[in-house]
Amino acid sequence: MVKSKRLFTLIAVLVLLAMVVTGCGSEDADSGDSASTSDLVEIKIGVSSPFTGDVAALGLGIKNGALLAISDSADELADLGIDLSAFAVDDAADPKTGVNAANQMISDSEVVGVVAHLNSGVSIPTSAVYNEAGIVQVSPASTNPQLTEQGFKNVFRVCTIDTVQGSYAGTFAYNELGAMTAVVLDDSTPYGEGLAAEFAKQFEAEGGEILLSEKIQLKDQDFKALVTKMEALNPDMIYFGGMYTEAGLVSRQAKEAGMTAPIMGGDGLYTQQFIEIGGDEGDYSTSVGLPLNEQPKGQDFIASFEAAYPGETIEAYDTYAYDAAMVIIEAIKAVAADMGADELTSVAGKQAIIEAVAATDYAGVTGAVSFDEKGDTLNKAITPYVVEGGAWVPVK
Amino acid sequence: MSMEIIGQQMVNGITLGGLYALIALGYTLVYGILLLINFAHSEMFMTGAYVGYFTLIGLSKIDFFTSSNVGLLLLYVLAFLAGMIVTGLLGMLTERFAYRPLRNAPRLAPLISAIGVSLFLQNAALLWISSRSIPFPILFEIRQDDIAGVNVSSMQILIVGTTILLLLVLDTFVSKTRVGKAMRAVSQDREAAGLMGVNINYIIALTFFIGPALGGAAGIFSGMYYGSIKYNMGFIPGIKSFTAAVIGGIGNLRGAMLGGFTLGMIEALAAGFISTGYKDVIAFAILILVLVFKPGGLLGESVVEKV
Repeated sequence: MVKSKRLFTLIAVLVLLAMVVTGCGSEDADSGDSASTSDLVEIKIGVSSPFTGDVAALGLGIKNGALLAISDSADELADLGIDLSAFAVDDAADPKTGVNAANQMISDSEVVGVVAHLNSGVSIPTSAVYNEAGIVQVSPASTNPQLTEQGFKNVFRVCTIDTVQGSYAGTFAYNELGAMTAVVLDDSTPYGEGLAAEFAKQFEAEGGEILLSEKIQLKDQDFKALVTKMEALNPDMIYFGGMYTEAGLVSRQAKEAGMTAPIMGGDGLYTQQFIEIGGDEGDYSTSVGLPLNEQPKGQDFIASFEAAYPGETIEAYDTYAYDAAMVIIEAIKAVAADMGADELTSVAGKQAIIEAVAATDYAGVTGAVSFDEKGDTLNKAITPYVVEGGAWVPVK
Repeated sequence: MSMEIIGQQMVNGITLGGLYALIALGYTLVYGILLLINFAHSEMFMTGAYVGYFTLIGLSKIDFFTSSNVGLLLLYVLAFLAGMIVTGLLGMLTERFAYRPLRNAPRLAPLISAIGVSLFLQNAALLWISSRSIPFPILFEIRQDDIAGVNVSSMQILIVGTTILLLLVLDTFVSKTRVGKAMRAVSQDREAAGLMGVNINYIIALTFFIGPALGGAAGIFSGMYYGSIKYNMGFIPGIKSFTAAVIGGIGNLRGAMLGGFTLGMIEALAAGFISTGYKDVIAFAILILVLVFKPGGLLGESVVEKV
């Protein structure tokens, strides 16, 4: 008896703890006040990116950006008889979790579009789910070319693809940095491999020499052996196709071993976390679009962001998530005006939203947003950044 | 291929191996006593790192600790003590609530319980602390010495030195002291040891203090060596160290040490001279080879099936 009583106590404690844990983690999806919205048509925009895990800094930024867009346009939508809220689901940067998240979002009939997925490796498998469901997907950050080459009419992205970014970096490294030799690393993901391959192609076309190409494993911490190998080759620079966690560790361990070659990467490095983990002065990254404060709407966004999220920093994709959500919201407005708000959640309404997104011509925070026939953005600006004084600053 | 590069890769491998060995000691100690693979051990590693981190952050606000070298040394000693004690207590708590009720259950039950504890602790750290990488404070200068063309840092010497020291202390403790004798008795035959007057619960609790405490120390070393900590930092080292314990012969303390250094060395040499992408493939292929030819591991005793 005593034993079973103890076991009961144990289970009770565990259940209690589990409740506390899930209580902390649940998403507060309905940001608007629900009391006064009874006569409005309730619709949702799905938001999915990694809220946990290795790249949560960028993923949570996407959520921030999308939620900001939704709350910024709440009044305008209420005038049209629409109550828009977010349905935020964590994809943990994992394709399997991402497909589950996608299914969770599309099974809610009020979801009329999704701002979804940071990682190309997640966006590509989930795009088939959204296509099947006839729901528009706008990715704020997935840059692998394959995403829009599947022939899906409902898939769009507001960020530039790897071919543009990787080859920009190749030209930049050779001409601006004056690098003649490079080591190319990637993190064995579609994003990292795509970027590294494009960089290598362009860098060699310019006349540079690739001394070594290596793949690293995600979540690995120890790159000392790789660093020793690179050090012996004495490259002018290291190009890293991947995300900030591993890139930061590689940069830190390379500098510790006495290497002076800068590390350069894509938009996956363009976050303060890269510098906190180990990114050093003089490391480079490229990011899609122009610097925020050079954009006409940039200052408005900064003010709005700081009011909504005091103390938080703007990450690489916050503005893209904002624009991605805005593109869907603009389409919702157009369809609501055309067919009536009640039709938004119908099959025809969702189809009309896809068509409205395809015809987007919107002045966003990241610049003019419009799409080509594949769904890629026509805004192909790339900005190089360098770590200076402990922060990313645009290269002059 | 110069000798310097080979030497440098061996230094890389020995340091990595030292970390693996320190974690592997905890796996092997618990396995030796309970025949339980404590999958929550990788979270003990993470817990140690976080406790060390918070101790360092908290105490470094006091001027005494940061104003002199003696203070700094004391600061890090306190961080290690705090990390090891808290992790050790967490290990005891885990044993008390997750393993002891299942002690006479089939062996699969505590194993699953261990996986549950591991997931629980990892997610607790994720939700209650942060999902981000946190920079680990290093308040002293790390010296880099050039020994015959090979770059060796004071951190590397510290990690390997401490690991070997802890092994020697532990080895002596288990083979020379009365409590150590009781531990060996419990590992040979729990019931008979109990009949001879050994307090089994005390011995098992002690084992669950020492093992996780060593894991906690390894976590702090990892934070200092790689410069950042994260809620899921225990996953990869946990798997690798478990592998190291198996290579060396699980249940054998010196085997854990040998296995750790062997695995670290294989990884560094494979990454350095073959391919970084293939280093894990090569390391695990060697694990399979060892198990095929010596199923008990390098230093393991031949396994007698208990009937």
